[in-house]
Amino acid sequence: MNFSIEMIGVWFAVLLTLSIFSYLYGDNPFYKSAEHIFVGVSAGYIFAITFWDTIWPNLFGRLFPSYVQAGFKFDIIYIIPLLLGIFMLLRLSKKYSWLSRISIAYIVGMAAGLKFYVFLNSNLIIQIKSSMLDFNTDIIGIINQIIILIGVISGLVYFFFSKEHKGTIGKISKVGIYFLMIKFGASFGFAVMGRVSLLIGRFEELIKYSSKEYSYSTPIILISMVIILTIWSVKETKNDKLKQINKR
Amino acid sequence: MFNIKNIFIKLGQLDRRLIYLLVSLSVLIPLLNPNLLQLPTKTTKNTQIVFDSLNDLKENDKVLLSFEYGASTKPEIHPMSIAILNHLFSKGIKVYIVSLWPEGVMMAADAINEIVDSNLFKVEYGIDYINLGYKQGGPVVIRGIATNIGSVFTQDVHLTLLDEIPMMNNIKDVRDFDFVFDLSAGFPGNAEWVQYACDEYKIPLSSGCTSIMVTDAIPYVESGQLKGIIAGMPGAAEYENLVYDYLNNLEYNKFMNKNVDIKPGKATSRMSAQSITHLLMVLFIIFGNISYYLTRKKNN
Repeated sequence: MNFSIEMIGVWFAVLLTLSIFSYLYGDNPFYKSAEHIFVGVSAGYIFAITFWDTIWPNLFGRLFPSYVQAGFKFDIIYIIPLLLGIFMLLRLSKKYSWLSRISIAYIVGMAAGLKFYVFLNSNLIIQIKSSMLDFNTDIIGIINQIIILIGVISGLVYFFFSKEHKGTIGKISKVGIYFLMIKFGASFGFAVMGRVSLLIGRFEELIKYSSKEYSYSTPIILISMVIILTIWSVKETKNDKLKQINKR
Repeated sequence: MFNIKNIFIKLGQLDRRLIYLLVSLSVLIPLLNPNLLQLPTKTTKNTQIVFDSLNDLKENDKVLLSFEYGASTKPEIHPMSIAILNHLFSKGIKVYIVSLWPEGVMMAADAINEIVDSNLFKVEYGIDYINLGYKQGGPVVIRGIATNIGSVFTQDVHLTLLDEIPMMNNIKDVRDFDFVFDLSAGFPGNAEWVQYACDEYKIPLSSGCTSIMVTDAIPYVESGQLKGIIAGMPGAAEYENLVYDYLNNLEYNKFMNKNVDIKPGKATSRMSAQSITHLLMVLFIIFGNISYYLTRKKNN
């Protein structure tokens, strides 16, 4: 058996994958451990990579250019994002947590301003333009465009709440519901497809790691897990019965 | 008739763990025996548009490739990355990689290593491709790339200053690229590239994304804001086939090494498992609905 770093990684990957899959049977210690490891590792990784790839070069690189040497020139204005960042961390302090509101206000204002124009341009103006009928195309194209136009109008009418959905408005909004249903159906279909693709990816790796090259890691870990879970399950059932007897 | 009704009602009360087992088997069996069922994949219009748009690019054109996916969505997006890189390198196109997801750096490195290991192309870092690494900030970073790339990126992933890399000469903002391609699994993703960069500066943009994102991205495709879309694993399989046929029919060119086997991609081999599982899901939905209808009728 080859005890390389890669091999340890493979065994750990198989153990964590099977631990997550074990939730399909029910909540158990393997699943809980894998879940906690995932949360911890993700948070740690994101923190480290964000600090070293963004905060260190892009912020400290501008405040201490000769020390950080990230290719930026000294820029005093970057003291403001540094302060806003510190304010945000002060949320942890009871006395100074109010300062974090300044940072949040900046983020909300900046994001709203940035989003306002781009959303108006890409999601409103261009989308309205593209839903216009273009008769310089073949008959199938024209029919498709008419269907899209009916879908857009009826969908919008469905979300128009200033008038009761009765009579003509009611009928149009009902058509809108059918279009929305089709959209939800398509979304559900694509969601299933995506999840199955991910399952295939995990299974493919588990099959790959079942080989002799990887010291049969998948079958060994799978069998071990099944044995441990069976023992754990029997013990849990016994404990539950004892608790019930004690209660009585 | 009475018995059939009872069978359907009992089917609706099946233990969910049995359903998980059936789904697992429907994935496992085709993966263990790929020759069991081989269903043909037909290229859809949107995948063809992506292929044609990238195929129209010329030698030394510059493509910005954005990696916005991680380990969780790797099975869907990674085959697209490989197929796209194969296509671009076969045409001598310069590739500029950025990552807007923390794991994107690893995914990009993985994809590039796979291409280099295949020995199919004569590619060299800093000449044919460059990896600018990861920056946190999502839409703000995209806006930075759109307006002034130097305000966000000054070093590549190996901490070499961009001023010292010849590929980066004359690259100031998104307008210096001939095409932007986004490999996306969520936020930030193709919608942000459309909104914050490519619509305003009129740069052709295309995307390969997870299946779950497709319905949200389709309006951009219909309006031409996205030049086609590679939709999930089936899209990846379609693109792989297009690139595989293209490379096999390609006469030897200066960008490729001689006498190297061109292998079909991974997504293609996964499609039979996908199709069988979908078939099973459809059956579950039909039986589930019949069972629900009969149970409700019986209770009433």
